[in-house]
Amino acid sequence: MKKLLNYIVFPAMLLFTLDSCHKLDVPITTQLTPDVFPQDSSQFISASGPVYVALRGNYATEYFFQQCYSTEEGIMAARGGNWYDGGQNKEMHYHSWTKDNGYVNGNWYWLSATIGVANQTLEILNTTQPEGAAKNTNLAEIKMVRAIAYFMFMDNYGNVPIDTAYGDFSPHANVPRSEVFNFIVNDIKSCLPYLSTTTGTATYGRPTLYTAQALLAKLYLNAEYYTGTPMYNECIVACDNVISSNKFNLASITDYLKMFYPSNGPTAPGSKDEFIFAIPFDATSTGFLGRSANYKARYDVPRSMGKVAAGAGYNYFNIPYTPGGPAGTLPEFYANFNDPNDIRNKQWLSGLQFLPDGVTPLNITTTKAGYDAVAFPGDNTPYTYQLNLTPNIVLRQSVPLFDCGNDEVAWNMGYRNIKFYPDATSTSRNQNNDIPVFRYSDIILMKAEAILRGGTPTLGHTALSLVNMLKAVRTTSAPLANVTLDDIFAERSREFAWEGWHRNDVIRFGKYENSWGFKTDSDPNKRIFPIPTSAFAVNPALTQNPGYN
Amino acid sequence: MLLLFALPLSMMAQTKSVSGIVKNSKGDPVPNVSVLVKGTEVGTSTTANGSFTVNAAPDATLLLTAVNFEPAEIKIGASSTYTVVLTDKQTLLTDVVVVGYGRSSRKNLSSAVATVRPEDLNKVVTGDVGQLLQGKVAGLNVTASGDPNKPAAVILRGASTLNSSQGPFYVIDGIPGADIATVAPDDIASIEILKDAAATAIYGNRAANGVIIVSTKKGRKGQAQVTYSGYLATEKVSNQLDMMNATELRSFVTKNNLAFTPADDKGANTNWQNEVEKSSAFSQNHNLSFSGGGEHGTYIASVNYLNKEGILQNSDLKRVIARLGIDQYALNDKVRFSLNVTNSNSNANDVPYRNTILLQSALYLPVSPIKNADGTYFENFVKSGYYNPVAMLNNSEMNTKTNLLIGSFNTQVKLPFGLTYDLNLSYQNSSYLFGSYLNKYFTSKYNSMYDNPDPGYAGHTLQTFGSNGQATRSSFTDRKKVLETFLTWDKKFGDFHTLNVVVGYSWQDNVIGDGFQATTSNFPVDNTSYNNLTLSSPSTYGSGLYFGGGNAYQHTRLISDFARLNYNFKDKYLLQGSIRRDGSSVFGENNQWGYFPAVSGAWRISQEDFTKNQNVFTDLKLRASYGVTGNQSGFNAYTAQFISGNLGTFYYNGNGLTPAYGPTQAANPDLQWEKTATTNIGLDFSVLNGRLGVSIDWYNKNTTGMIYGYKVDPILVPTGSITANGGSINNKGIELSLNATPVRSKDFSWNTTLNLTHNTNVITSLKNPLFVGGDSVSVSFPEGGGQSGSSLQLLKEGYPLGQFFTLEYAGKDHNGVSQFVDKNGALTVNPTRADYHYAGNAQPDLLLGWNNTLKYKNFDLNIFIRGVFGNKIFNATRADLFRPTTAMSSNILRDAANESPADGNAYKYSTRFIESGDYVRLDNATLGYNIKGINKYIKTLRLYTSVNNLFVITDFTGVDPEVNQGGIAPGVDYNNFYPKTRTFLFGVNVSF
Repeated sequence: MKKLLNYIVFPAMLLFTLDSCHKLDVPITTQLTPDVFPQDSSQFISASGPVYVALRGNYATEYFFQQCYSTEEGIMAARGGNWYDGGQNKEMHYHSWTKDNGYVNGNWYWLSATIGVANQTLEILNTTQPEGAAKNTNLAEIKMVRAIAYFMFMDNYGNVPIDTAYGDFSPHANVPRSEVFNFIVNDIKSCLPYLSTTTGTATYGRPTLYTAQALLAKLYLNAEYYTGTPMYNECIVACDNVISSNKFNLASITDYLKMFYPSNGPTAPGSKDEFIFAIPFDATSTGFLGRSANYKARYDVPRSMGKVAAGAGYNYFNIPYTPGGPAGTLPEFYANFNDPNDIRNKQWLSGLQFLPDGVTPLNITTTKAGYDAVAFPGDNTPYTYQLNLTPNIVLRQSVPLFDCGNDEVAWNMGYRNIKFYPDATSTSRNQNNDIPVFRYSDIILMKAEAILRGGTPTLGHTALSLVNMLKAVRTTSAPLANVTLDDIFAERSREFAWEGWHRNDVIRFGKYENSWGFKTDSDPNKRIFPIPTSAFAVNPALTQNPGYN
Repeated sequence: MLLLFALPLSMMAQTKSVSGIVKNSKGDPVPNVSVLVKGTEVGTSTTANGSFTVNAAPDATLLLTAVNFEPAEIKIGASSTYTVVLTDKQTLLTDVVVVGYGRSSRKNLSSAVATVRPEDLNKVVTGDVGQLLQGKVAGLNVTASGDPNKPAAVILRGASTLNSSQGPFYVIDGIPGADIATVAPDDIASIEILKDAAATAIYGNRAANGVIIVSTKKGRKGQAQVTYSGYLATEKVSNQLDMMNATELRSFVTKNNLAFTPADDKGANTNWQNEVEKSSAFSQNHNLSFSGGGEHGTYIASVNYLNKEGILQNSDLKRVIARLGIDQYALNDKVRFSLNVTNSNSNANDVPYRNTILLQSALYLPVSPIKNADGTYFENFVKSGYYNPVAMLNNSEMNTKTNLLIGSFNTQVKLPFGLTYDLNLSYQNSSYLFGSYLNKYFTSKYNSMYDNPDPGYAGHTLQTFGSNGQATRSSFTDRKKVLETFLTWDKKFGDFHTLNVVVGYSWQDNVIGDGFQATTSNFPVDNTSYNNLTLSSPSTYGSGLYFGGGNAYQHTRLISDFARLNYNFKDKYLLQGSIRRDGSSVFGENNQWGYFPAVSGAWRISQEDFTKNQNVFTDLKLRASYGVTGNQSGFNAYTAQFISGNLGTFYYNGNGLTPAYGPTQAANPDLQWEKTATTNIGLDFSVLNGRLGVSIDWYNKNTTGMIYGYKVDPILVPTGSITANGGSINNKGIELSLNATPVRSKDFSWNTTLNLTHNTNVITSLKNPLFVGGDSVSVSFPEGGGQSGSSLQLLKEGYPLGQFFTLEYAGKDHNGVSQFVDKNGALTVNPTRADYHYAGNAQPDLLLGWNNTLKYKNFDLNIFIRGVFGNKIFNATRADLFRPTTAMSSNILRDAANESPADGNAYKYSTRFIESGDYVRLDNATLGYNIKGINKYIKTLRLYTSVNNLFVITDFTGVDPEVNQGGIAPGVDYNNFYPKTRTFLFGVNVSF
């Protein structure tokens, strides 16, 4: 027995322990790993959410600034050093940006991360969601968000890398713009069979079949610029696919301004008719990429018309904060608003300001030096004046620092856009106004432009009839008798002011090399931005865009 | 004088020739035994056949000493030939070294292992083992901050990882990964520092940063003993930041045409640093242990009580450790059962936002009083980021109760054929109960303040509080279960071949963060503090109830097989090979298992026949080893996996706040441990009849596959970073340890040990399949006012960890404005990041520890000096207190007295604030008095007094040159406001 114990049992015990117990798996109990998430239909919805949160990222802020301040549509000059921000706004205006510009870097990161999130989400859902119509639509919608991001990526940076699959970690070289163009068009086409034709609340904020057609129309309209090959007839077909669906209408003249109110959305006046695809903003929403918020009034409303101390202004918009208010338009752009009967004039704040009764002057009490430090330096005599927004931006303090000065005169420079009407219901600077990407009026004007640029008219439309169709619901003035490309450009400027499309329009109309404000640069390489420093740090396969080395 | 003359005279007087043979207990002759005529310099040593001849006075005494034997004396009588039998030395600790899964005799060790005995540990008021070891071991770089509750940073043989955990792996009484805080310093029997891969590779993928084995005291058979040791200590501030007082600041402000605002200037002269500190902090430590043993078993039990006041107001630590160890033999003593249970219970009071309080105490204006005339605290909230530090301190509280339990049950069975079987089971349970309360004053006055990172770290975050008091309570438990079993075969073949083989298996299961945390606010009264969270109404003012997510429950598992073989030929040629196969659930699914081999050999040259006739070396051994170890610390259970989290809200079907969940951490199925390959060559010798022992080690450590959160193209990995293996780092160094006894006589002896360490560290690659673009990573962003985005260091290929990369200061321009060298070599007053230059590094060239023990009769004096040389420190703390332009609104350093407010660049992080980190510190001086056999009740008594940090010699201008050398950004003095202290200690050890 003892021998048995000594020579057999103990060694056997040892061998037993050596043989077994090499299992390392431990159950997942606290984290959302791929083993436990996503698994059911509501989880698939939650899992697709990051794509939409990502797209919201910079759309209302840095992306908009890059589109707006690089044209005559808008300018954000410094006020006593504030908003100089390392010269990024100045560079936008002068077309003197480098690969280190903050917007150039920030938007590249945002757009590549949005594409990355879409690829990753496609991978996750493709492996987890059961086959069927719901999966096909879900994946097609996510691909469409990726296509929208890729469109912005290609429109801004030209030659970008094409990455479509999560898990391939090898750096990809950027490819010529025409190749990116073809990739996007084909990708959209592959989504068409699966996209929803339902509009309204159920699909609001997600791409439908009409979003796809609108994006195709936008790509085809710009094809001549992007690839050298005109595709105006293809543009007209895509527009007709939207028009013939009869799902959209032009908003009436009484609904035009309401279309952009904080209350806009799938059932609100104006927006329910015209919005083909909008990015929904909710003042209490949260996000993970960029600011994920709509701060329009923060930049555009004069400081003295927000929440200010007694005597320093009047909280005209009843907002819970003092806006920074450095951004306005340039006279060159405001000149498009030359029809006094046009409802779209009302998206601007200009000249002398009154209280909501319309007659009492909006007075501000300050000191003489506080009003105009150049004319009255050090003069602390009290001074009261009626708020008067002036059209011109004057760099009184410093031309190199792009600075108007830090007095009331400087702060009141530039007419202000309040299309995305300041939100009195929000408790923060974040507004509830959804921002449209594609509106029905864009379809109408794109088709008109495509016909005028040589496309074949369809459905009995002419360029003139289409432009007048829009003017009929925007102005009480007489319709046009004939239409030129310049008329269309002016019409687009009025219709889409502050919606982030102006840079795209200015380039297509060949006006990007013109001079405006303080800008005289005419280098056509500036039509696309440089690939930023931050991108080279993580992808050595990239090649810089022409003109930036 | 008389004595000096007397000795040679008496020697010359009359001598005779005495000869003899020295043998060991087996009857074999012992060569190289030192034979000394006591009280003279006359002596010889034994030959190869153990014989000696010496001339000595007829009544003289011969003193015989040899390595590995107890000393012996011969009283010379009438005879002139003697035979002496030496007994083997019994001092277990000097000759037996605890290694992984076994023991070895030091002479037969082929790896690099250092042993520290308890009497050599630093005598400091601390529970932290790092501080006990500081300066004692070559190759070990220990940096302790003034903060007593922050463990010292311990780095063995240079930083070998970018990962946060660079500290060594602790094994306590055979329990791998045991919490070192469970061991009372008085209970330590020995500490072994396993340095090279040959010694550590048996611990596989946890061993890359070195292994420290702590053994606690055991009972001995037939020796019933009761020991009490205790001390009282008082601590005083020895150094703090040299800020201006009210008079100095007023004259600076006046001289420079600035003015305090009336709201600040109340004519006070407050030393804010003194106000948040105690004038002295008192500590006491008591340790009672009793041990003994009968024929078939031994026991030891001890209880330790430590009460330590913090030098900052409202801070203290109370700790009780109780320990019981029983060994019982059975089955004719063939089986030994051991049960060890240790419980450590501590209660620590601290102040929330302590670092912010310390910052405010530095910059708060001395012209403002602590309280207004009406008894309320003085505050001036017109200035942002400006808070009365005394008010902060007295309107908040924080307490942590920690209970650490370790129990182990070991069985050892002696089997036939020299086999031994061990089965060790252990269980460790650590629980933490935390509570903090910010009262109504705090939450109403300091909402939206910034916290302050720990010294050396960077990046502050905005703190927002609920209204009307905010309480945080958390309770977490960690559990570790370990099963280890191994079979040892110890066999001698013939007279020359000895074999020792160990084969084993280890299984470990860890649960971390089992518990919860809750933060709530809006309390009716302040008195209830954090004790009754149900009184809160968190929703009343819109601030909600929050649950901390940082400590989410984790479950990990580690499984290993290991084997080691030792071969010894005639005690001359020693060979060791070991291998461990480790598996860990924390790694990517493609790489869960790995092998960690090591080989080593040693040649004891002094055992060779051809050295028998020399008498220079008493011992001479050459060692060489190579092995591979891994590092898996710093990773949690989910590091390799896709983890989804809340990514905000989106619009879905009419609901604009639908939650979106997606990956917040990218998966890396290929993630695996870092590998560190170490080559070590060592030489041990002793000369002068064993009076001088020298150990030299040269090593070359290459770490590959460093784990780091690398930046990745977001189009590929949208989280923007991924934890991955990549890059490599190299450490090369030389360690020298000397142990000498220059004087040894009956009444007086002087023993001195010196250790020197030199290490060079270089990042050899930062490349990674995923991190293809950049070859450098900027680190250390102190975020000082107006310096957002300025980094102090750069990780870059070809440069060491801790490479400073900043603006190069070039004096002042004609306007008195600080100027800097730009990227083209021209001067600029408006520099950008593009103008950064390489500017020295934070790692020292040389570490020195020098210990002296002098004994005279019953007195002993120990003097321990420590030095660090060749390193640079970026004094960002100084830069941030170097703002002449705002001296009227926040205090500045005395050093800035000659600065001008016109210099808006004065504070900019630049080479101006890089200082030499050299220092020499008299770390400890202890004077003791020992009495043996006082009476039949008291066996031994020792009284001692000790002082720590007596002085430090340095040019460094900050609080202390001992800044953190650990982490990814070593050598940065940032937020380093914690005052340095000097401790006076009086202690007694009695055994009954």
